[in-house]
Amino acid sequence: MASDSFWSSAREETLKSYHALFDSEWPPWLAGILIAIIALMIFLWQSPWGIAAGYVNWGDWVYHFFGASKGHPPLFPWLHPISLSNVGIIMGAFASALMARQFKIRRAPRLEYGKGIVGGILMGTGAAMAKGCNVGGFYTAVAMFSGGGFAMMFGLAAGAWVGLKYLLWEMEHLPSKPVAAKPKKARKEGEGVDWEKVQPRIGLAVAAAVIIIFYLYGIVDKTQLGGWLFFGFLIGLIMHRSRFCFVRAFRCPFMTGEADMVKAVSLSLMIYIAGSAVIKWGYLQEPTMGIYHSFFLGSLIGGFIFGIGMLLSGGCASSTLWRVGEGQTKLMFTLVSFAMADATAGRIFRATGISKWLGKDIFLPDVFSWPLTMPLITVFFLMWVLAAVWNEKTEKFVVF
Amino acid sequence: MDLKEIKADQVLDTRGLTCPMPMLKTKKTLKGLSAGQILEVIGDDPGSKNDIPDFAKKNNNEFLGFYDDDGGMTHYFIKKG
Repeated sequence: MASDSFWSSAREETLKSYHALFDSEWPPWLAGILIAIIALMIFLWQSPWGIAAGYVNWGDWVYHFFGASKGHPPLFPWLHPISLSNVGIIMGAFASALMARQFKIRRAPRLEYGKGIVGGILMGTGAAMAKGCNVGGFYTAVAMFSGGGFAMMFGLAAGAWVGLKYLLWEMEHLPSKPVAAKPKKARKEGEGVDWEKVQPRIGLAVAAAVIIIFYLYGIVDKTQLGGWLFFGFLIGLIMHRSRFCFVRAFRCPFMTGEADMVKAVSLSLMIYIAGSAVIKWGYLQEPTMGIYHSFFLGSLIGGFIFGIGMLLSGGCASSTLWRVGEGQTKLMFTLVSFAMADATAGRIFRATGISKWLGKDIFLPDVFSWPLTMPLITVFFLMWVLAAVWNEKTEKFVVF
Repeated sequence: MDLKEIKADQVLDTRGLTCPMPMLKTKKTLKGLSAGQILEVIGDDPGSKNDIPDFAKKNNNEFLGFYDDDGGMTHYFIKKG
C-alpha cells in the first residue's frame, strides 16, 4: 500500500511525470507550439532566433586560427548569441537523450559519412546564399514577414524532391554494408556501472549545469547572452523529445505522403507569425528587424541547394544539432562541413560581389500593408496543410 | 503471438542507418513482397520506433509489432497486405 505522506505522494507524482515526459515521445504538434512560443520569447529577449550565424562564427574561428582572416578576431563563441543558443540546443538534446536512456555513440556505414559531409557543404553554401538556414532563412524569416522566407520555402521543397530522387537512385546503385552490431557485454550484478541507471542522472546534471551557467552569465552582467544558452537548451530538449524535423515537412510529402510534420510546422508558424505581428505591429521591437535575406534569387537558389543537402545528411541546421546531442557521429561531420562551407561561401559571395546579384529582401507589410499581410499568410499556410493532407490520401506527389 | 518465433520471408538490415534511409528501404522492400509475406526490419534508429509502425499500417499492410534485442537493435515485423 502506498504511504500517505506528502513526500511519498510527491515522489510518486514526480516519477509518473518523469515517465510521461522523458520516456514517451511528444507529438510533433505540441513541439511546434512550444518552439513557436520560445522563438517569440527569444525575439522579445533580444533579436530573432537563427542557427546558421552560429555555424559561421565557428567557421570564422577556424579561418582566424589559421591566420586567414584580416582585422579583428570574430566574437568568441561563448559571447556570440547564436553560437551560444546552438550549444544550448546540443546540450538540451544531450540531456533529453540521457534522460530517455537513449544516448549512445551511433556509428554509420562509410557511405553515410560521405553523404553527411557533402550534405553539410551543400547546406552551408545554400545558407550563405539565402543568408539563413531552415530556421533563420525560412522559419524565422517567414515569421518576420521577410519575402526571402517564402522564396526559400519553395527552394527547400524543390531541393528536397531532387535530394529524395538521389537517395532512391543510391538505393538501387550503391550497396551499403550495415554496421555490425557490437554484442553488449553482459554486466554482472554489482560490477561496473549500470549505464541504464546512470544516464538519467547525468542528464539531470547537464540540465542543472545549463541553469548554473545561465546564472553565471547574469553575475558577470551578461544575462542577455546567458538567456540564449537557456532558450537554446529548451529548444534542443523539445526537438529531441518530439524528433522535430523540418526536413520531414519537406521530404515526407514526396516519400510516404505523411503530412504530420507539415501540420506541425504550419501550426508552429501560425503561432510564431501571430506573436511576431503583435511585437512588430505594436513596435515592441523594430518592425523591420530580421529583414535581411536575399529576395528572391538568393533565397530560392540557396533554399534549393540547402534542400538537397538536408536530404543527403538527414538533418537540417536544427536537427543536425539535436542529432549530434543524441550521439550520431554522421551528423558531427555534417556540423563541421556546414560551418566551414557557410563561412567559406559567405567570403566568396562578398569578395566577388555575387551577394549583390542575389537580391534584396522585402518586408511584406511594406508591400501588402499589415491588414492584408496577415490573412494572406494565414491562407498560404492553410493551403500548404490542405494540399499535404490531400496528398496523404491520394499520394499525388509521392515519387515512388 | 511471440514475435521472436516469427519466420520472416525477408529480412532487411538497416543497422547504423538513420532517418530517412530505414523508411525508404522498408518501403522499397515491401514493394517487392507479395501479399501475406512477412518482412522483418532490423535497425537502431530511435526515430524508427514511431515511423515504421505508422508507415506499416498504411496501404492495407499489417504491423505485427517490434521487440528490442540484447544488442540494442529493434526488430520490426510487417505483414504485406
